[in-house]
Amino acid sequence: MRRVGGAHRGLDMWLFQRASAVYMALFIPVFAVCALAVDTMDHETWRGLFAPVWMKVASLLFVVSLLSHAWIGLREIFIDYVHCARCVWPRLVLYFIFAVLYLGCLVWAIDILWSVQ
Amino acid sequence: MTPQRPFFLDLRQIRLPIGGFVSILHRATGAGLALAVPFLLYALALSLESPEGFAAVAGFFGGWLGWLIGLGLTWALLHHLFAGLRHLGFDVGWGEEKTRARQTAWLSLVAALVLAILFWGLS
Repeated sequence: MRRVGGAHRGLDMWLFQRASAVYMALFIPVFAVCALAVDTMDHETWRGLFAPVWMKVASLLFVVSLLSHAWIGLREIFIDYVHCARCVWPRLVLYFIFAVLYLGCLVWAIDILWSVQ
Repeated sequence: MTPQRPFFLDLRQIRLPIGGFVSILHRATGAGLALAVPFLLYALALSLESPEGFAAVAGFFGGWLGWLIGLGLTWALLHHLFAGLRHLGFDVGWGEEKTRARQTAWLSLVAALVLAILFWGLS
C-alpha cells in the first residue's frame, strides 16, 4: 500500500535532525584543528584549506547537514509559535521561503567550494 | 472538551530551572544561527574569492562591530553544539538524573561562554 504523507514524516525529521547534528559535531572540531594549525592565516592558506577534493566533499556534506538541520529546526519553531486556526497558510509560506532560500544557499555553496582550485 | 487549568505566562516572573534556561537558549541560538547562514556564506565566498576579499572579511571581523558579531556567533554555535550534545545524551538515556542533568546544563552554558571569549579575546 502506498503511504501518502503522514505519521512517519515527523519521526524521519526527528532522526535526520540527530544524524545531521552528529555529522556537524564531528566536522566542526576537525575543521577547527585544520584551520588553527597553520602559523598565519592568509588568503593563500585559506584557499589551500579547501583545495583537496576530500575537504570540498566534507564541507559540502557539512553545508547539506547545516541547511537541512536549520530548516527542520525552524519548522519546529514555526509549528510552536505560528500556531492558530488561521495560521496554516502563513506557516506554509514560511516553510516555502526558507526552503527556497536554503536551496539557493546550497547551489551557491557548491559554486563557492568548487571555484577553489 | 478542554480542562480549565491554571496557567501563568508572565515572562518577567517565570523563573526557569537551569536546564530550562539552557534549553531555551539552545532554541534561540539555533534560530539566530539559521538566519545568519546566508551572511556567513557571503563572507566565505568573499574570503575565498581574492586577497582583497579576504582582507575585507578579516578587516570586518577585526573592527569592533565585527568582533562583537563574531563573538556572538561563536558563542551561539558553541552553546547550540554543547546543549545539543546534552540533548543527544538524553535521547540515548545518558544524564537524565536530576543532579547530572543540572551539572551538564551548567557545563554547556559555562564552557560555551569561556571558549568563545578565549577565542575572540586572544585573536
